[in-house]
Amino acid sequence: MSEPKIEPDLMRVSWGPQHPMSGQTRILLDIDGEIVHRLTADLGFTHRGIEKILENRTFLQGIIPIERMVMVDTANIGLGYVLAIEEALGVEPPERADWIRSMICEFYRINSHLYAFGLQVEATAYFPAVFLWTTIDREIILDLQEQLTGARWSYNFFMPGGVHADIPEGFQDKVLEGVEYLRGRFKQYWGAMVENAIFEMRNEGVAVLRKEDAIRLGATGPVLRGSGVDMDVRKDDPYAAYGDLDFKVVTEAEGDAMARLKVRFHEIEQSLDIIEQVANEIPGGPVRTRIPLFLRIKPTEVLSRVETARGELGIHMFTDGGMNPYRVQINSPSLRNMYVFERLAELDEILLADVPVVINSIDPWYLDSDR
Amino acid sequence: MSLLKKLFKPFLIVAPYVFRNSQTVAYPDERLVFSDRFRGRHRLYFERCIHCSTCVRVCPCNSITLVDVEGREGTYPQIDYGMCSLCGYCVEFCPKEALEFTDLVEFSTRDRTELVYSPERLAQVPDIKDVVPRLKRRIEPYLTKTEMKYRKVEDL
Amino acid sequence: MNDLLTIWKALFTYTIAPLEISGKLIAGLFNSFTSALWSLPGWLLRFFWFNFKPLMQVLLLPGLAFILLFAIIVVWFERKFLARAMLKVGPYYCGKRSGWLQLIADFLKLFLKEIIIPYDAHKILFLLMPVMLPTIPALAVILIPFDQNWVLFNAGSLSLPMFIAIAGLAPLIPIFSGWAANNKYTIIGSFRTAYLYISAEIPLVICAAATAIMAGSFNLVEIVEAQANLWFAVPQFIGFVIFFLGLIIESERTPFDIPTAEVELVMGWRTEFSGILFGFTMMAEYVGFLAWSLLFITLYLGGFNGPNVLGLPLYSHVFWLLLKLAVLVPIVIIIRGIFPRLRMDQMLRLGWYYLTPLAVLNLFIVLTLKLLGVFP
Repeated sequence: MSEPKIEPDLMRVSWGPQHPMSGQTRILLDIDGEIVHRLTADLGFTHRGIEKILENRTFLQGIIPIERMVMVDTANIGLGYVLAIEEALGVEPPERADWIRSMICEFYRINSHLYAFGLQVEATAYFPAVFLWTTIDREIILDLQEQLTGARWSYNFFMPGGVHADIPEGFQDKVLEGVEYLRGRFKQYWGAMVENAIFEMRNEGVAVLRKEDAIRLGATGPVLRGSGVDMDVRKDDPYAAYGDLDFKVVTEAEGDAMARLKVRFHEIEQSLDIIEQVANEIPGGPVRTRIPLFLRIKPTEVLSRVETARGELGIHMFTDGGMNPYRVQINSPSLRNMYVFERLAELDEILLADVPVVINSIDPWYLDSDR
Repeated sequence: MSLLKKLFKPFLIVAPYVFRNSQTVAYPDERLVFSDRFRGRHRLYFERCIHCSTCVRVCPCNSITLVDVEGREGTYPQIDYGMCSLCGYCVEFCPKEALEFTDLVEFSTRDRTELVYSPERLAQVPDIKDVVPRLKRRIEPYLTKTEMKYRKVEDL
Repeated sequence: MNDLLTIWKALFTYTIAPLEISGKLIAGLFNSFTSALWSLPGWLLRFFWFNFKPLMQVLLLPGLAFILLFAIIVVWFERKFLARAMLKVGPYYCGKRSGWLQLIADFLKLFLKEIIIPYDAHKILFLLMPVMLPTIPALAVILIPFDQNWVLFNAGSLSLPMFIAIAGLAPLIPIFSGWAANNKYTIIGSFRTAYLYISAEIPLVICAAATAIMAGSFNLVEIVEAQANLWFAVPQFIGFVIFFLGLIIESERTPFDIPTAEVELVMGWRTEFSGILFGFTMMAEYVGFLAWSLLFITLYLGGFNGPNVLGLPLYSHVFWLLLKLAVLVPIVIIIRGIFPRLRMDQMLRLGWYYLTPLAVLNLFIVLTLKLLGVFP
């Protein structure tokens, strides 16, 4: 990557790959004392060529590599790929399978938002108390998912045509019990961290992204909704039983780091409502339609969109009649949000101490932006 | 006034955590109980396998190859756990259900070639006490109103 | 009769005879020890005999053993205590499930690691600064009175100004070491150290001066004796709060550990130290914490005052001081787990907009109370 030249009187600090809090990326900060004048993101440390890998795997085999794009949100991404295959094939999953898919996606949304919330709190202090509490609460979700699917983070539960297996017995009661417990935990989080005087001082007014800028720069996900724009793929273009479920799209108007945090928080509450609805009202029926094991799809071009926890993921797939897809283009949300992050230094004044807070409020996942 | 409330309320919420039990699993002495569907190490049934190589073709990681076994006719699957992602396709799509999952996940070795499990090794699943000699009990989590606790399921 | 004889013989054999034999042995040892003692050169004996009390002070309390033990125990306590707040267990396996041997293991590991000096670093400063780092707060600990007659260095009416003067030396070391390491992260840490101490020293000095005014003397022993009826925390409540915040600021603990903020700068001015140099910087944080909490207790919480529970006044005074320390330390440690870190400009604003006017207000209150004759 060709780095931009350093202006005179600025110091370039590399918030680099060897850093306790940078994740798997390198961000170049051009600072003058404490004020950051320019942010340059140097991505690509974790590029694995997933789009090329998918060209060498059959359709069913391809679900495995693409799930590993984001570790805390695998269900949503796998669902995007499966929806693309189903659209290309022309197969509709049965209704019960749709509801189970929604439930798993919402579980994973809670998982990802808890992780992001813990990271944002940790970014202000590097004291992992709340981060560990969120890890322990994620254990409850992971235990439930393990009883349903058999694995704790890489489910591989969705198939073109439905899901792999049905809900086991006694699962609905455990789900309702877990939902009640998680609701009680959020009061603790809200009181201990969000209503914390110093936490508010660190997060309010930091990196304000106005509504016009968010739309112009192409933000997505909680970054967009935190600036007051009401866009969510689950409502605009419903897939997998979201058309039948009753939930709200959460927006906040201020656009600073605290607003994005509150959006994530309230989205967790909405997800808990959805899971409760699914556990109570799921229709009966089969969960799978038969499709051949080694599919061949005639030449088409499909585009599918899902709402992952970080934003909108688009999968644009070309098939050519063989067993592998001809080309898969993945439009990842974290890459678009990283672009917004780079422009934030020009839009609002960011101090050096704000950089970890801002990054974790935008919540990129670097394997997702590099693919 | 609300500033003082915001300063003291976190104190009152966090301080009682000091008196709670820790929510960690003391691993070599305790181990969690997994569900029936848990995907761990494989187990092979010799008499059910019909050497159709579906598992080889469906594996996304190319970790299964068919090898000869002495004393038996035909070729049987050998799994390389350095590449296996425990996805479950081979178990699900085997026409005779010759492969199934156990709940052992202790794969660590000192040599990478020991990670390739031959069919004889796949057919013999050791007891959990042989794999983790220090194990004393199996535990499972349960939820109370305010915290998650562990309770003992069985003693070993 | 035969049974009684057996019993007497058994008693004699198993209890009294060993005592007699060991008594003879102990008497023999003591005799040889004292005769060896008399055979030491006369000047050495006179040195030990006449300087017994200062030697005890330097070696045990409040000297070498006390400071080192405090650092070790508080590190262990912090790890276990904060692990509880995080729902973990802290050090567990080293030392029979309480983990106290973990500290010795960590210290040995740090001691045996390689010291890496960066290529363009200023070698003399780089190696010298961590050595000076724990010694400067240790110099401040020697001024604290543990009893009316048990002060390591009784500077008379100069003890409080001397403490403040030594505390003024404290920020120089991080600044020098950050510059000496020739690294961008460390130099930013140095700048932040300078800002931090600028914003916190002035309110602290004003509050300390207010306590001295209320007591009528700069001598720390007399300040403690003036609190025999009422701790200074009660009439000077504002000063109490400001000094408590200042205690956390000066020992660079969260929520004010801005110079060594791990999320932005890898370890601030401590980044390039490795091995035993890093061990010194870690120890320095706790020695500074000890020095400032002892001063806080002396100025506001009544020092060593307390009812006589242990016989000798010396013993009970030391007991009360250590008890107050043991109550203060967990409170400061738990604050680390609750509040995030302040940003630099928020810290400056706190220091100059809020703490300094409040400290001046505190001074006015004290002057008013003094002129009204409430506190003679």
